[in-house]
Amino acid sequence: MTETQAPTDFDTLRRLYRTMQVIRQTEEELARCHQRGLIHGACHTYVGQEAIAAGVCAHLKANDVVFSTHRGHGHALAKGMPPRELIAELFGRDGGCSRGRGGSMHLFSPEIGMMGTSGIVGPCILQACGGGYSSKLLRNGTVGVAFFGDGAVNNGAFHEGLNMASIWKLPVLFVCENNQFATEVPFAYASGIADVGRRGAAYGITGVELDGNDALEIYRVAGEAVARARSGDGPTLIECRTYRTRAHAEGMGDFTYRTKEDVETWKTRCPIVRMRRVASDNPPAGLSADELSRQFDAIDEEIHDVVRDAREFAEACPPPSRDTATQHVYAELSPRRPSELGAPTSSRTITFSEATLEALADEMARNPRIFVMGEGIGKRGGNFLTTKGLYGKFGAERLCDTPICERGFVGLACGAAMTGTRPVIDFMFADFVLDGCGEIVNQIAKMQYMSSGRLKMPVLLRGCIGIGHSAATHHSGSYYGIYGQVPGLRVVVPSTGFDAKGLLRHALRCDDPVLFLEHREILQTKGPVPESDYEIEFGKARVVRVGRDITIVALARMVHLTLTVCDELEREGISVELVDPRTVSPLDTETILRSVHKTGRLLIVDESPAPYGFGAEIAARVGEDGFNDLDAPIRRLTGAFCPTPYSPSLEEAVVPGPRDVANAVRNLMKE
Amino acid sequence: MPHEIRVPRLGWSMEEGTFVSWRKRPGEHVAAGEILFEFEGEKALQEIESLDTGVLQIPDDSPAPGTVVPVGQLLGYLLDSGESIPGESSSGSPHVPRQLPIEAAGFPTLAEARSAVAETQPPAATIASPRARRIAADLGLDWTVLTGTGLGGRVRESDVRAAALSLDVPSKPIPAGPPQTSEPKRVRVSPRRKAIANRLRLSSQRAIPVTITTVADATNLVGLRDQFKASGARIIPSLTDIVACLVAGVFKSHPHVAARWEVDRESLVQAADDGFHIGIAVDTPDGLLVPVIRDVGRKSLLDVATASRTLIEQARKGRLGADDMQDGVFTITNLGAFGIDTFTPIINYPEIAVLGLGAIRREADSFLDGRNTSPGRMVLSLTFDHAALDGAPAAAFLKDLSASVANAAACLMSR
Repeated sequence: MTETQAPTDFDTLRRLYRTMQVIRQTEEELARCHQRGLIHGACHTYVGQEAIAAGVCAHLKANDVVFSTHRGHGHALAKGMPPRELIAELFGRDGGCSRGRGGSMHLFSPEIGMMGTSGIVGPCILQACGGGYSSKLLRNGTVGVAFFGDGAVNNGAFHEGLNMASIWKLPVLFVCENNQFATEVPFAYASGIADVGRRGAAYGITGVELDGNDALEIYRVAGEAVARARSGDGPTLIECRTYRTRAHAEGMGDFTYRTKEDVETWKTRCPIVRMRRVASDNPPAGLSADELSRQFDAIDEEIHDVVRDAREFAEACPPPSRDTATQHVYAELSPRRPSELGAPTSSRTITFSEATLEALADEMARNPRIFVMGEGIGKRGGNFLTTKGLYGKFGAERLCDTPICERGFVGLACGAAMTGTRPVIDFMFADFVLDGCGEIVNQIAKMQYMSSGRLKMPVLLRGCIGIGHSAATHHSGSYYGIYGQVPGLRVVVPSTGFDAKGLLRHALRCDDPVLFLEHREILQTKGPVPESDYEIEFGKARVVRVGRDITIVALARMVHLTLTVCDELEREGISVELVDPRTVSPLDTETILRSVHKTGRLLIVDESPAPYGFGAEIAARVGEDGFNDLDAPIRRLTGAFCPTPYSPSLEEAVVPGPRDVANAVRNLMKE
Repeated sequence: MPHEIRVPRLGWSMEEGTFVSWRKRPGEHVAAGEILFEFEGEKALQEIESLDTGVLQIPDDSPAPGTVVPVGQLLGYLLDSGESIPGESSSGSPHVPRQLPIEAAGFPTLAEARSAVAETQPPAATIASPRARRIAADLGLDWTVLTGTGLGGRVRESDVRAAALSLDVPSKPIPAGPPQTSEPKRVRVSPRRKAIANRLRLSSQRAIPVTITTVADATNLVGLRDQFKASGARIIPSLTDIVACLVAGVFKSHPHVAARWEVDRESLVQAADDGFHIGIAVDTPDGLLVPVIRDVGRKSLLDVATASRTLIEQARKGRLGADDMQDGVFTITNLGAFGIDTFTPIINYPEIAVLGLGAIRREADSFLDGRNTSPGRMVLSLTFDHAALDGAPAAAFLKDLSASVANAAACLMSR
């Protein structure tokens, strides 16, 4: 290994040294605190790898954005987080960078461009792409940086992220800290080729392989990469070969997968010692070796005091009040009141699809931060005409066709929303996005909470759901029950064009991530939709039909289906009240309970399978809060617990039909 | 074609009831319109007429008397000559025959009600929907005595509301139970007693009763009865009959007294012109019943007397039909025979007023008009629901009624 010569600029040298010392001493203090039991959860230290964070972050401004991994203390400190906030966070205190919500693996300080660390390996790569996409759209010259270990490069996120960054020339640095073990699995075992940097060629981007313990070399290469990104020449993959000299996490055994000798050898390559040596071998002009040594010692002393102060601060910090435990799951309500119209009064009749297109087009014209991503949503205008005509109006950057990489572009959307734009992800079929489910559930849904409300997550995720026309099992799922279980998501399932337009507009104006699920079989249904700029608030059910004897709760197509039998039942003397919650999360239980209070009977008609689903939730809520109103057991009429088959005769058998609804009502009336 | 004999539905919400007994024997010829069997529905025992003509055949598996059976249950056949009972498999019944042992059926039979002082414990409804329980609690009803029309006999809201609507109120105490021995005897309360308790409780929860009394001159009233007796008339109207006719006359100028609360208690329904249905409290061996004389305002005194005699007879025999106890707008109860002068009758909710008649006293020390023959006097006790009616109009009604009693013959002829 060759060592880079000391730069002529002593200030840079001192800055890099200081950053590394801050990281090293803070980490060693954290290791001590962990032993003393002051740290409640995991603690992954960065000892031995300090040169990388220091060398890269030295080029970043406060509005450049860093996304990191579970081993992220060093990145946070190098990006400018005071040790006080880091230590307090690991102590679980209110003064911590995530206000005690995160701990070691969830460090947030968006104010200084530290966009977050993650307990999941891979997503930071996609989020950095999102940061890069925001930069491109907002033309603010910022750079996104992903720090990740060698474990991430064999994960799909790496492939999808690097490819997207390449095709869109995103201003991103992919910094792989190859410390040779993915947790405890050797990289040499886990990868088909021995190094990471040359994988860049596979994506048509610059790839570099570096000595990860050489801060000056890293600084030099990162400088080039940042300049490349800022000048619009696209991303760079930088592999830094390094080694962590402490265990994977504090308190874990270390010598089942590596030897003491290896660790001792790597300790002798300590990047901090190495920098002192290089500097004293080639002192900057005008400085003697002794003077240099005294300056470094002075830095050590200063940092020692800083870290001691930080620990004292952390210990003195109060823990967060338990009353705040569920705050920031969703964004604070906007002071603007949605302008809901009671009922469609327009004489104009358009389709469901046309209604959502109108809302999207209006909002895109109003808000330049909105962009749409998906397969075939550009010139083609979307498989379901969701973006018809918008490409001509707003161009390729805001109507961005994607490769087929759902996880990739959903993860990108997460990073984009974190960095100031408003992505609309059009995934065509809800089934497709299950490949990106981790990005939705683990990242998008949790960001606002984990950042203690300092990040907003205005992501709209839309796609088709529903059984019909022999679409078979990979084009028929609904999944709203699954998403309804995830705190942090809004889940919208409209049944009419009127509702869809108002709800989509609300989704494009609120700060929460929204899953907007459109039943394919009702996209062409027509209904009155005003041209006006109205919004429909989430969590407000619509009483579709007023009745007396039985309450039916249904969504989307099941609303239409139920309506077809209500008159027949009325003639039999059974008066049905039909409630469409419109949003699964939040769920308007108040309206449902009010209806059951009146009728005494509840039937939930749901196309999805029953277990743990939409109907189960409503039944439980009514059982809890409306027990004394029930004159009969709550019944569910649901789709079969079965994948969706192709043949019409089979397909028909797994989804409720009008006869099923009518008979379910009749049977319930007999109870 | 053999004619099937099936359990009829005796009320809009009835799902089952007790088959009491056949009134015809197997092999006997039955003509359409003849009484074929007795059946006890939700409210009362009913005699069921045959719809068809034929010879009665009762299959072996026909329900035994006293069995609880669902509506639609096949009971037997009426056969033309040469016909025989169809094979069991071809009964074609849409209803699966369901013969429940009484213990499991959830509703006491009238037979049991009649022997309620016996030690057998009548079965009760065992399940009710949460909503039915809540509403029963609100209305002060004991749902366990109700017949559930839901699946498996579940008591539902409609059962509770129907029970609340059909309540009648006892206005005098029930005779005490059997004499106590040295060991205190625990007597399980009969279903009828429970029903009476429910009605009383409902009235006491719903109505705001105020009782006012006045002394009426009953001389002419007594004289009128004496004239009927002297004339050798076949039917001699009772004092209650005469007062009922007088009340109907007074209602014409006080229509707001002849009213019932709607179920929602949002409105009061006044009786239609002259259609004053007036209940009369009847003491029976099984407890208090209040049959209703219909259209008192349109009937002659003799017609009223005839109707009331029939109703009282039916009541005492336990043969009162459900229809016989519905739709009253006012109730009259007479405790005069027991020597009672004044009392506070309880309103037969949802009616809004009840009239109590006391004993007629001839007062020897009366010198009102200087003659030796003292007039008969009777206390009229009117309990009215202050929620529906204020004191002044109630008093005005009672004053006019008192005047009407004093001049009974003239009022009857001019009404």
